[in-house]
Amino acid sequence: MFLTVFMYTAITAFVVFSLRKAWQYARHPLANRWELYPVPGEPGARRRYGGSYYEEAGWWTRPRQIFRAGQYGEMLKEMLFMKSLFYSRGKFWILSYAMHLGIYLLGLFTLFLLAGAVTEISGMPLTVSDGAGSHLWATLVYLATAAAGFSGAFLTACGSASLLIYRITDGALRKYTTGVEYFNLFFILAAAVSGLAAWSMDPGFNNSREVVTSMLAIAPVRAGVPLTVHLLLFGALLIYIPWTKMSHYIGKYFAYHKVLWDNEPNLKGSALERIVERNLANRPRGGWSSPHTKSTGAGNHKV
Amino acid sequence: MDKLKPHDMSKPSSEQLVSLEQLMPLPAPYDRPGMDPGLEPVKDAWRETYCASLDGVVGNDRLKRPGSKAEEEEFIKKFLNGLDKLFSKETNGGFLTPFLLAFEYCARCGVCSEACHVFKASGEKEVYRPLFRSDTLRRLYKSYKKRGSLAARFTGGDMDINIEAILRLGELAYRCNLCRRCAQTCPLGLDNSVIARAIRALFSMEMGIAPTLLHERGTVLQLKTGSSTGMNRNAFLDNIEFIEEDIHERLGKKYKFFIDKKGADILLIHNAGEYLSWPDNPAAFAILFAEAGLDWTMSSELAGYDGVNYGIWYDDAQAKKIALAQRRAARELGVRRIVIGECGHAHRAAAVSSDRLAVGGDNIPRESCFPILRDIVKSGAIKFDPLRNNFPVTLHDPCNIVRSMGVVMPQRQVLKELCPQFREMAPHGVKNYCCGGGGGFAVMRSMNFSEWEMKVAARMKFKQILEVFQDKIKDPAAPKYICAPCSNCKGAFRDMLDYYQAASRFNVRYGGIAELMVNSMAMFDRPYFEWL
Repeated sequence: MFLTVFMYTAITAFVVFSLRKAWQYARHPLANRWELYPVPGEPGARRRYGGSYYEEAGWWTRPRQIFRAGQYGEMLKEMLFMKSLFYSRGKFWILSYAMHLGIYLLGLFTLFLLAGAVTEISGMPLTVSDGAGSHLWATLVYLATAAAGFSGAFLTACGSASLLIYRITDGALRKYTTGVEYFNLFFILAAAVSGLAAWSMDPGFNNSREVVTSMLAIAPVRAGVPLTVHLLLFGALLIYIPWTKMSHYIGKYFAYHKVLWDNEPNLKGSALERIVERNLANRPRGGWSSPHTKSTGAGNHKV
Repeated sequence: MDKLKPHDMSKPSSEQLVSLEQLMPLPAPYDRPGMDPGLEPVKDAWRETYCASLDGVVGNDRLKRPGSKAEEEEFIKKFLNGLDKLFSKETNGGFLTPFLLAFEYCARCGVCSEACHVFKASGEKEVYRPLFRSDTLRRLYKSYKKRGSLAARFTGGDMDINIEAILRLGELAYRCNLCRRCAQTCPLGLDNSVIARAIRALFSMEMGIAPTLLHERGTVLQLKTGSSTGMNRNAFLDNIEFIEEDIHERLGKKYKFFIDKKGADILLIHNAGEYLSWPDNPAAFAILFAEAGLDWTMSSELAGYDGVNYGIWYDDAQAKKIALAQRRAARELGVRRIVIGECGHAHRAAAVSSDRLAVGGDNIPRESCFPILRDIVKSGAIKFDPLRNNFPVTLHDPCNIVRSMGVVMPQRQVLKELCPQFREMAPHGVKNYCCGGGGGFAVMRSMNFSEWEMKVAARMKFKQILEVFQDKIKDPAAPKYICAPCSNCKGAFRDMLDYYQAASRFNVRYGGIAELMVNSMAMFDRPYFEWL
């Protein structure tokens, strides 16, 4: 029962701590505008060349146009393909993308495992003695699980290993890389390699599916040594990620949506103006020490 | 490869971390020996008084070495107090999100370095990597918070927190133009300029240390006299009178500057440096606005006639005071809108940075002058003859106007319409390079800092200028015009062309966009540019 409880704890911790992190950022005071063009929410050609509503005289008298599809499209390109890194540093992109694509595939693999477990619980076996079950759905789920699981673990292992080697061997990167950053990559690598070791004993991921079935039934998980090691490493990684910069899936949202792409103007009578008003009404409890920061007019530094 | 690491910031003052040799080569004709001027070496007296141990340059003349051990300890204590305040909602609320994101999530991939003109132009000196600066702050903070523990060393908190590291960091904050080009390339959407700016803010707002020309003779002077130039109301009015007379003498027609006209549609605010250094620019605006029939005025109230706001580069408190003073001047006149003249940081300060600092009566719409100038050309209200501008013209994009505000096309539409030989630099628009004067550098003048600015910070832009005019550069008879629609950028170009003697040797000129428009006005029988 330990593994069942541990895996539930790990998943819960990942979700709760990730939400907590997002909540911490969401509770920051209203940020001063710090947008950076191109802003993909700008309509038409502007989002391509980096223009904004400020290109029109009397801009505040015109209807505000926001191209939401542009924002989502840009975000998807960034999430799915890591577009910025691709254009900025192709060589690094190959390594980093391999790892991230592997992680995405492992996410899909988990969903396929869940689908397989539910299918089996509902009475349709995914496997027969000589391979996949004969039902089309069973066959699809079985094959998709195997493909996503292996390719995901393989790409994650290759990507994290190559990033680790790159960071160790590249002089410019090495001097800025801290111990914890090597550890993070090593941790991901260890979890992926342990997954590959478990796969080598069970290419159809039947044991992994049994783990999910047991978890759904809140029953003890039966796993061999390689799978147990993998589950322990994977669970620990889930608990660990939200506490580290690997939680950039949260940071990136705020960096783009609340900083770089936030060009919402504070128009008179708008909802934003009311938020600004409330924000300005909050008197800070602390303050900076230099005398000029306390005055409302001219002030002098006194060193 | 440069072996310097952030830990080296803690080395003793006797070691200068980098020397400015083997910079990025310049194209012809500056590829010949003797064409690239040298840099004044650091003096021993500077080393004793200031922090010259970073790169042999002194940018912050108020960053002085403590005189005793006790003062040194007090200095470090104040710095650490300030460091805590950067992480507080109470003291850094407006910048907490971008600052924390940049501080916490940087993957140290180094992509930002390739976008940084200072790093590239310096010949890739490690100390100028955007990452070097931000990582030094991270390591100092972690060393401070975790106090030499194993966890500290594991997470990068392995620096000695000593006076030299802090002094060098204070100087290094003034080796970034805050142009934000690096942020465009960051795969995580993080902005190193937020960190450089935060270091400046910490030194200014907690320790009272900021370059004299930005603070005492910058924002403080502006709040006291009305302008960072020290120009008070009477001097401003005298200048306006002089400019009106000058226009009449030169063009044979009288134009009036409206001052303090209540209820006007537009309050036009220029960078006050224009009245003193480039009076042709405000004069050109007066001519264009009069001929286009616009209802406009200027203000003679405190800060109402000077659009600059140096505070956005180094000090939130000063930035807010100036922004609100400008809004008050507009409110008192009852104007419908504020139009910012040709000044990049004034554009951003008024329209973007201070947007969430005012409500109600102070929440007056602010807009760029460029769409208005574009509309004047498109409307046909004024007859232009583009052949009067038949010389090579290129456009320098002020970072604050393009990258931080998204005003890219209007100025191009004017130039394409009125300048037959208009050509773009590569890259341009939101991908442009800074002129080298951004983030306060065009204003700062301490010791050998201006030379560093020209030699390193402005080098990439000078390279672009040489490249864009390569077909005509060796022909001194052909004037070549850099259209720099920003006062600080013009300051940087003035110094750049002087430093490299590009005006005297190769007839490279610079100026604003309004002057180009007036120069091509068909109604005048003589050129507006005196050098034509």
